Amino acid sequence: MALTRTFFVYLLALGTLFFISACAPKNPFPEVSSSASSKLFVPFVAPRSELCASSSIEMLALYWQSKNSFTPALDLHELDARTLIPAKGGTLQIELSAAARADGLVVYPLQGGFEALIAELSADHPVVVLLNRGFSWYPLWHYAPIVGYETQTQQIMTHYADTPDEMLSLHTFLSMWERADRWGVILLPPYELPVSLAKEQVLRSIYDFESTGKREEAIVSYKTAHLRWPYDTNILFALANAYYKTQRLDEAEKTYRLILALDAKNPLASNNLADLLTSQSRLAEALEIIEKTSSDDINIQKILNATRKEILFLLGLRKQ
Amino acid sequence: MNFSRLLVSFFVSITLFAQVSWAQMASTEAVLSPSSMVSAKEKLFEMTSREDVAAKFVEMGVDPQIIQERIASMTDVEAAQVAYDIETLPAGADAGMSLLGAVVFVFIVLLVTDLLGLTKVFNFTKPIVNK
Repeated sequence: MALTRTFFVYLLALGTLFFISACAPKNPFPEVSSSASSKLFVPFVAPRSELCASSSIEMLALYWQSKNSFTPALDLHELDARTLIPAKGGTLQIELSAAARADGLVVYPLQGGFEALIAELSADHPVVVLLNRGFSWYPLWHYAPIVGYETQTQQIMTHYADTPDEMLSLHTFLSMWERADRWGVILLPPYELPVSLAKEQVLRSIYDFESTGKREEAIVSYKTAHLRWPYDTNILFALANAYYKTQRLDEAEKTYRLILALDAKNPLASNNLADLLTSQSRLAEALEIIEKTSSDDINIQKILNATRKEILFLLGLRKQ
Repeated sequence: MNFSRLLVSFFVSITLFAQVSWAQMASTEAVLSPSSMVSAKEKLFEMTSREDVAAKFVEMGVDPQIIQERIASMTDVEAAQVAYDIETLPAGADAGMSLLGAVVFVFIVLLVTDLLGLTKVFNFTKPIVNK
């Protein structure tokens, strides 16, 4: 009888232990984290019902404004008007991103979960996350900027609601974040780059910024990315195209030629350089470039053929 | 006479224009996702999805004056996603629960615990486990 009871006690203890370890966050603060804590001085905007997306963008915009020469393009009222969908009583993730871009911030997706979050915070980049405060079957969605962490006490610092720099236990935070698929965005001014993303994703995010009407600002971002990855021809290609589209033809030409210096056979850069030279009536130069370019990709070859055809046509006209 | 000359020059310029428009600048898209050179069909699809988003926004009470600007800040992919999934996409709201929501929530929780026989708050419930 006594033996059975002892057995049950052990079983219970074992069960509890298992339960605790199963619930503990799988990746608490990474060992490699350079500092034990971080606190960013992000200005606080008091919460207003249904407008947490707008407030979150505003807080980050004010943060970057306070740090250096960033000027937000929109005020809080305009952000409100761009984010709220009355029938849904809140803001879509896509619209949070779209509004942040309209405000002049490049939107980088947070990839790589908690480790990436800590890496960005350590680099003084606050992150806006989506949290599910309720249950998976009864979701209560909420956006909040994460502004710091404390390894010793296992806490995350956030402008969660009414109190600035509120400390949340890591466990609570991770539970809420997990239920929102660990969604987060790093909102940065054009001259800052995220530290946790691969260059392909960085380029994609800057291009999204450019294609939604921020071409001049995107040029600054491409240049910053070029400084970090000086030999990446895709970044240079995006930069050159942006120059071309803003009619900064000298800079565009120089940049296309830089790509060809790194990769002499680059068909896309050759095509666009030839196209640019054609637009300046420098047909002989254009022809020389296009004649020594070809591509295995059918679509690219089609573009090359079209450019070549035009150059030959214009040369023919000139002769007449 | 003059008119026919005008007509001829008109047609010549049209042909010229059409021929010179062969060449194209390769878009940055080409290096982002090489397989996705956007076809005319996809372009049409994207245009429709932007119109769909606008229509849904009107339905959902968004200020009509700012709808076009809001949609212009979305990438093509984003606009398409909103057009198709707007009903089910999560919308981040605020950090507090409405009083009514909280009351309803507590009611449901107590109802469930009553039905499980763990509590006896309401006298119209009969536990379904222990008789």
